[in-house]
Amino acid sequence: MTDIATDQAPATGWDRSRLIFWGVSLLTTVLVIGPIAPIIAQAFLDKPLYADDANYTLANFSRLFGDAAILQTFLNTLYFGVLTMVVAQLFGSVMAVVIGRTNLPGRKWIGEILIWPLFVSNLVIAFGWLTMYGPSGYISIAMRNWFGFIPWNLYSLTGMGIVAGLSQAPLAYLMCLGAVTKADAQLEDAARSTGAGPFRALFSVTVPMMRPAMIYSAVLNFVVGIEMLAIPLLFGAPGSINTVTTFLYNVGINAAVRPDYGIVGAAALFLLIMVAALVWLQGFLMKGSGRFVTVRGKASRPATLDLGGWRWVAFAVVGTYVLFSIIVVFTGIFMRAGVSFLTPLIPFWKLLTTANFETVFASETYIRSIINSVVIAFFGGIIGTFFVAVIALVARRSEFRFARPLEYVALFPRSLPGIIAGLGFFYAVIWVPGLDLIRGTVIVLMLAFIVRYIPVGFGAIAPALSQIGDELDRGARISGADWWTTVTQIILPILKPALFSSFALLFIHFFKEYVTAVFLYQPGSEILGSTMLQLSAQGDNGPVAALAAIQIVITALFVIIARRVLGAKIYG
Amino acid sequence: MADLVLDRLTIRYGKVTAVNDISLTVGSGEFLTFLGPSGCGKSTTLFSIAGLNHATSGTIRIGDTVLFDGAKGIAVAPERRDIGLVFQSYALWPHKTVAENLAFPLKLRKLGRAERDERIKEALSLVEMMPYAERYPFELSGGQQQRVALARALVYRPRLLLLDEPLSNLDAKLRERARVWLRELQERLNVTTIYVTHDQSEALAVSDRIAVMSMGHLRQLGTPKEIYENPADAFVADFIGSSNFLSARMVGEANGRATVALGDGTQLSVPKGTASQDGSLVIAVRPERIELVNGPGENAVKVDVTSGTYLGSVYQYEVAGGGSRFRIQTTHPVEQGAAFVRIPPEAAAIFAAGPDVK
Repeated sequence: MTDIATDQAPATGWDRSRLIFWGVSLLTTVLVIGPIAPIIAQAFLDKPLYADDANYTLANFSRLFGDAAILQTFLNTLYFGVLTMVVAQLFGSVMAVVIGRTNLPGRKWIGEILIWPLFVSNLVIAFGWLTMYGPSGYISIAMRNWFGFIPWNLYSLTGMGIVAGLSQAPLAYLMCLGAVTKADAQLEDAARSTGAGPFRALFSVTVPMMRPAMIYSAVLNFVVGIEMLAIPLLFGAPGSINTVTTFLYNVGINAAVRPDYGIVGAAALFLLIMVAALVWLQGFLMKGSGRFVTVRGKASRPATLDLGGWRWVAFAVVGTYVLFSIIVVFTGIFMRAGVSFLTPLIPFWKLLTTANFETVFASETYIRSIINSVVIAFFGGIIGTFFVAVIALVARRSEFRFARPLEYVALFPRSLPGIIAGLGFFYAVIWVPGLDLIRGTVIVLMLAFIVRYIPVGFGAIAPALSQIGDELDRGARISGADWWTTVTQIILPILKPALFSSFALLFIHFFKEYVTAVFLYQPGSEILGSTMLQLSAQGDNGPVAALAAIQIVITALFVIIARRVLGAKIYG
Repeated sequence: MADLVLDRLTIRYGKVTAVNDISLTVGSGEFLTFLGPSGCGKSTTLFSIAGLNHATSGTIRIGDTVLFDGAKGIAVAPERRDIGLVFQSYALWPHKTVAENLAFPLKLRKLGRAERDERIKEALSLVEMMPYAERYPFELSGGQQQRVALARALVYRPRLLLLDEPLSNLDAKLRERARVWLRELQERLNVTTIYVTHDQSEALAVSDRIAVMSMGHLRQLGTPKEIYENPADAFVADFIGSSNFLSARMVGEANGRATVALGDGTQLSVPKGTASQDGSLVIAVRPERIELVNGPGENAVKVDVTSGTYLGSVYQYEVAGGGSRFRIQTTHPVEQGAAFVRIPPEAAAIFAAGPDVK
């Protein structure tokens, strides 16, 4: 037999695979550290980062903690975050058990509707709530008309926290749903065989298994709460209620006079450390959750519980929740978009108008916002998916020495609140010579979004990757393929469904993102979120509703196409 | 084609030594089997030859080509070793058809289309899978996948073929046929082959030579007959086939034979071997080599037949005698109670310790 591969040179230290390992690791590290380093620097400087005569100081922190108003802001943030978490976990977990495990009528549809809020930004949701339940909202006015008073006040810290909690409940729902429906049916059967009734078995065996999902989503929702901008900004401004994010937003860019960079840096650093500590705590609490792992070899779906006549009671309760916290909110946006003035006092068909949409389509800025959003979501989604896929392949499927550290760095943006990522990139672009080129362009937005959502893409790709046996790579290597050929020709094609899911998730996240953009956009690179935020601050609600409606419709179309055509898995 | 040489190969993972100081040479065209229980280091050794895991020290070379040299820090990447490897799970790429699976290594070697097609046809004909060229792996049975995996490993005519338990996922009947077929194919191609298995009957049936491994050590290297007839130690005697171990004491040596005494004082004449320091030893003898005899005589032992099992082709009985319990096999049923058995001197071997002492 003749040898046909003898002319291949012996392995050198710098083949292309090694170049890719180092290149990807360096790029990831630079992109992740990029926004953090300037914030740390700014927190300790007495003048703006770019000023030549800036000196190191601790004064920013003493000012930060010495100011009673700022301390109040921190307390507000804490209360708001806790309330968000409690409300979200309460509703989310109950819904998960009821929808996942009982014969509630229409549970399939209710389950679908429950995850809608995850597809749009909390800016859109906040606007929907404002339209319906705000002081002059549609339902609020109706209440006052019928009963003479409005039983709620959205413009309070408690009101904000409840709204934020309800808008985050779908996240808790999804995670708990996974835990209760994927539980091993045999475990409950075992409880039944020892004499437990069906409800007893559910509550003593399966519900405790939700604990890891509860802990995980609780910390996540708390983090979402303290880094949320839209709800505190829209509902807090009238009553001058500030949280850390609105403080950063107002002092950072909205200040009429010169923005106070020092205190912004210090507050941002404080927020960053707080969130990083929480994410670490999450990992710490999840340790040893192996005793709750129930997914074993053959999967059998647990039986659904028959609620009997009570299922109609449950339906009424769940239906009311879904109707008032989701359907009404979304409906409000579309109603507001279609009328000149939304009020229950005049039949709304008398106020029907296309003026809001005409305003949007007549304005170059608004059109550009829509186009920019789509462009960033689409191309950012593709680039981001490719980037994350390569990171995952190097981290999980290579002999690279620093594979594990690369994964840690790549997942760090979980601890990076959007407003910090935006602020950090803003500083970095000013600070680092040469980056001025991309300042205020869609490119810097795309970059910031990709960095912030690396963990989202990673979460879609990594589990699928671990399903692919490593003998497939080994088979390719021994057949004569180097690492890069192996992953591009063998692994990536098999990974296609996960790549589509990652793309779909990134598209949705990029399309709804607004917080990260608030410091980064400039005329010309507006996106839907930033334009809506600006307009709603001006009280220009008609065009905001029209833009929100457009955003919802595009998102819905995308979700349908992604699921049907690409077969992407988006939230279950 | 050149010899494969492993020289003082050692593989450590942290404090665990998976492969300990193994040296052996595989001749051109030879079929060598690594045989041992799971965790003995046989697959680890195989994958280190393939370059898919990293050896710690020693050298691996094919002829003059060094694939690995721990001292010089040479480790050729797996894709540059030009070795064919068949995995236990076959590792057929699920998104490629049978023909595309075979085409991949040829494309990497930049073969022209015509030659590529020729090679694929040749390899698939060799494994009798030509009609399935356009199928996807999931459309094939286990046996067919195994053949395609073999064709993929052979299609680029590697200088060495490695097989990692390739038959273990087949059912028993098919496995027996496949091993005969595999050996015939290997002889026809005359490709140097290293085969890994934990199945001793498979190893005995297909190999030119067998390397018996245990806990990272090479216990014995020899032809199937040598391994079976003259095991180097109690572990090999126990692992290959099945052996009885009777405890005894050394009495003396004369004329190339050793005389040993069983627990009840019965003296036996056996081939020479080593006893431990205090003179205690074990006699290894296979159940099917023990003969039933009518009464006392040379090398006869008085036993008590306790229980029996019908095994189809033979009967197997548990007996107690000479201070040990052991098994014998007969072609006809035996009454329970007292009997005499003879241990032929040429069927026995003595070792210092039984197989449990490592």
